[in-house]
Amino acid sequence: MAGGILAVAALGFSLVWGILNIINLAHGTFIMLGAYITWQLFTSFHLDPFLSVPIAFAIMYGFGYVLQRGLINQVVRAPILATFLLTFGLSLLLVNLALIVWTGDTRAVSPAYSGANFTVAGVTVPWTKLATLGAALLITALMHVWLVRSKLGRAIRAMAMDVGAAQLAGVRVAHVYAVTFGLGAGLAGAAGALLSLSYSLNPSMGEPFLIKSFVVCVLGGLGSVQGALVGGLVYGIVESFASQLDVTVLGQHLSGSGLQDVIALVVLLVVLVARPTGIMGRAAA
Amino acid sequence: MNLEATPTGSASLTVRDLRAGYGDVRVLWDVSLEIEPGEVVALVGSNGAGKSTLLGALSGIVSVESGSILFGDVELAGAATDRIVHAGVVQVPQGRRLFGGLSVRENLLMGAYLRTDREVHADLERCLALLPRLRERYEFPAGRLSGGEQQQVAIARALMARPKLLLIDEMSLGLAPVLVDQLLGILAQIHAQGVTILMVEQDVQTALEFAGRAYVLETGRIVKSGPAAELLDDPSIKRAYLGI
Ligand SMILES: Nc1ncnc2c1ncn2[C@@H]1O[C@H](COP(=O)(O)OP(=O)(O)OP(=O)(O)O)[C@@H](O)[C@H]1O
Ligand SMILES: [Mg+2]
Repeated sequence: MAGGILAVAALGFSLVWGILNIINLAHGTFIMLGAYITWQLFTSFHLDPFLSVPIAFAIMYGFGYVLQRGLINQVVRAPILATFLLTFGLSLLLVNLALIVWTGDTRAVSPAYSGANFTVAGVTVPWTKLATLGAALLITALMHVWLVRSKLGRAIRAMAMDVGAAQLAGVRVAHVYAVTFGLGAGLAGAAGALLSLSYSLNPSMGEPFLIKSFVVCVLGGLGSVQGALVGGLVYGIVESFASQLDVTVLGQHLSGSGLQDVIALVVLLVVLVARPTGIMGRAAA
Repeated sequence: MNLEATPTGSASLTVRDLRAGYGDVRVLWDVSLEIEPGEVVALVGSNGAGKSTLLGALSGIVSVESGSILFGDVELAGAATDRIVHAGVVQVPQGRRLFGGLSVRENLLMGAYLRTDREVHADLERCLALLPRLRERYEFPAGRLSGGEQQQVAIARALMARPKLLLIDEMSLGLAPVLVDQLLGILAQIHAQGVTILMVEQDVQTALEFAGRAYVLETGRIVKSGPAAELLDDPSIKRAYLGI
């Protein structure tokens, strides 16, 4: 079920990487911010976390747009190290701001229905997890339709192929780059909002999701919506299988989350060896 | 396209003392030229003379150091590319520069990116009527088309912006003579419908036979200009560009 959220998070990461050629090290932090926005709205206004998803998306979209326009646009064509430094610095800054605003205490978003579940064929399924998966799939589908159908979505895809030609067609490149970065941040925010239902919150919660987004994105193929979706779901499934296992390797007892990460990375390696462009990736043009 | 869609006699292009280049490297030195509405003008010159740079400056993708580019009464020097396209100056870039992963249809729609009117779909039909080959390739990724077909898509994409002045860079490059003739026929039709054309060509013979007037660019300076027929007979042009 976490695979759905991962798909949303990874889609945002993938858009920014594939189109702006920026590996956004602050992506995990954006996810964290989305979760805290949801927590804040839940705590202050008793707003249902699912209703916070579009709000977290919108706030983080605006934040991402302004950030790109004002700051990150300076490094779009810069060497990768410059973008690393900038986004890593940004991430540190935001985590520390979050520590000041929300403190380091662990928080949780637990609406009245959070414990409810139902049983199918002997398997107990919590409603929130099912609804989370549904919401994640819906977001991914909407994003896909928007990218394929809308004028701006088409411009974003075109820009990934030839920025200069897009500019000659009249695309305001700085604006569309900012929209793309905003979408990346917005998707991170939405993922964070969905996460808040099943994970406890703290300012450094985003980091593992940055790494997972990276893996999913490489797994699925860069800049591809279907890739992020398939990659996210595959990763989620592998992860939940791994969490059931309990093995001893070289005298080390491995289980639960430690094993999850190991297996996920092994899967990544296997996929990359078999299909270097990712599961859904096309061969490089 | 059609006569109503692109009004003739709309605007003349006047370039005065244009200096432009890349960073500290100046490529164009005091270039001046004039194009009247309805003309076909060729810009010829050897490799690296600065032809593409000049078109780039006109389109706002190469930065202008000084000088002016008036289109009608709109100053284009230093303007953003979207404003220039909106004003009706549209470029078919060298090397076609299609969006290879997008279908032909989507490439054409990208050409209409700035348009908000309701006639985009009618214009798609007009493009397909002008370039029937593209109808068969409509949903193909543009990157999989042949060179000649790709050049047609590049021209059609520019037409979708409803240009008043069409800038065409090295249309003939890498194409067989029969395909070039075909494309020139298409350009003639576009011109007949009221679009002013500035064509950049390395194939000087072809360009001078097609155009009404021409400018010769050498190392960033205009060294000659005049009626194309006269330049075709000019001994120094013959020697330098026509290999006679
Ligand atoms: N992006 C760039 N950055 C720096 N210099 C450039 C760039 N593009 C072109 N130049 C230089 O500017 C000069 C003019 O190039 P330009 O492409 O305008 O020539 P051209 O006449 O179009 O030649 P060709 O027939 O090869 O297309 C050349 O010396 C070239 O090396
Ligand atoms: Mg050139």
